[in-house]
Amino acid sequence: MESLLKADVKLKPFQFTIERGKIKEFAMAIGDKNPIYYDADTARKEGYRDIPIPPTFPTAIEMWGGMDFETLIELFGLNPLKVLHGGQEYCYMGEICAGDTVTAAPKVISSFEKRNLRFITIGIQYINSDGKDVLYSESTIIERGGSKNE
Amino acid sequence: MSELKMIHKPEITHTQLVKYAGASGDFNPIHTVVPVGEKAGLDGVIAHGMLIMGMAGEALAEWFPRKDLRRFKVRFSKMTRPGEKLTIEGRVTGEKWEDNEKRLTGEVSVKNEAGEQKLSGRFEFKI
Repeated sequence: MESLLKADVKLKPFQFTIERGKIKEFAMAIGDKNPIYYDADTARKEGYRDIPIPPTFPTAIEMWGGMDFETLIELFGLNPLKVLHGGQEYCYMGEICAGDTVTAAPKVISSFEKRNLRFITIGIQYINSDGKDVLYSESTIIERGGSKNE
Repeated sequence: MSELKMIHKPEITHTQLVKYAGASGDFNPIHTVVPVGEKAGLDGVIAHGMLIMGMAGEALAEWFPRKDLRRFKVRFSKMTRPGEKLTIEGRVTGEKWEDNEKRLTGEVSVKNEAGEQKLSGRFEFKI
C-alpha cells in the first residue's frame, strides 16, 4: 500500500552567502586538496571569478541555510534514528563562487510509503543575485521502518 | 570505454565525521555519537552519505575541470563506517548533446577495500 504523507508540507525559501572560509572548511573535511578551493589566485588562474564551490557544497548551503536535519525531522514527522540518505542529484547551470549570495526555492517533489520504507524527495532551485538559474539539487531521504515504527 | 585514474582515500576516522558534520551542518547524531548509532541499530556510527559523494566529487574535479561539470547524480547503496578505506573509480561511457553543448558522460563508484560498493553514480561534463 502506498500512501501520500504530509504532501502539504511547505518548505521555506532561504538565502545563503558563500564564504571562502566555509568552502575551505568543507574541502578539508572531505580531504579534497584541490588548490582551487583554498587559494583565490589559483582559482582565478584556472578561470574562476573567485574560489568555486566543490560539487557537493550545496549540502552545506542547505543545512546551514535553514533546511537542517532537525528542521526536516520536525516538518515531516520523521524518526531521526531511522533516516538515511538514499540518493542525490545536482544539475550545475552556472558558476557559484565565494562572495555570491544564492536564493534557494525548495519544494517537496514526492512523499510516499512503500514496503515499510518512507521516501521523501526534495528539489531545490537556486538562483544567484542576478536572478539567473545556477543550480538544481534533488535529494531523496528514506525513513526505515515507516513512521509508525517505534 | 576508458577507465579514469583511481583515487585512494585515507582511512575514514571518527574525527573526520565530526569535521564533516561541522562543515556540512548535518548534525544527525548517528554520524558522530556512538551510543546514538548503537541505539539506531547501526552497530556504531556511519559516515554521512554526502561525505562519500564529496569524495566522488573530488575525483570528478581531478579527472576533468570542475567548471565544466554539468550533472552529478548518485545512489547510496551501503553504509560506511570509521576504519574503512575507500577508493573512487570512474569511467567514460560516451557523449551526448544537451542544452546546445556537447557533453561527456561517465560513471563513478566508491568501494571499500573488500570491494563493497558504497555509492554508484553518473556524471556529465561539457566538452
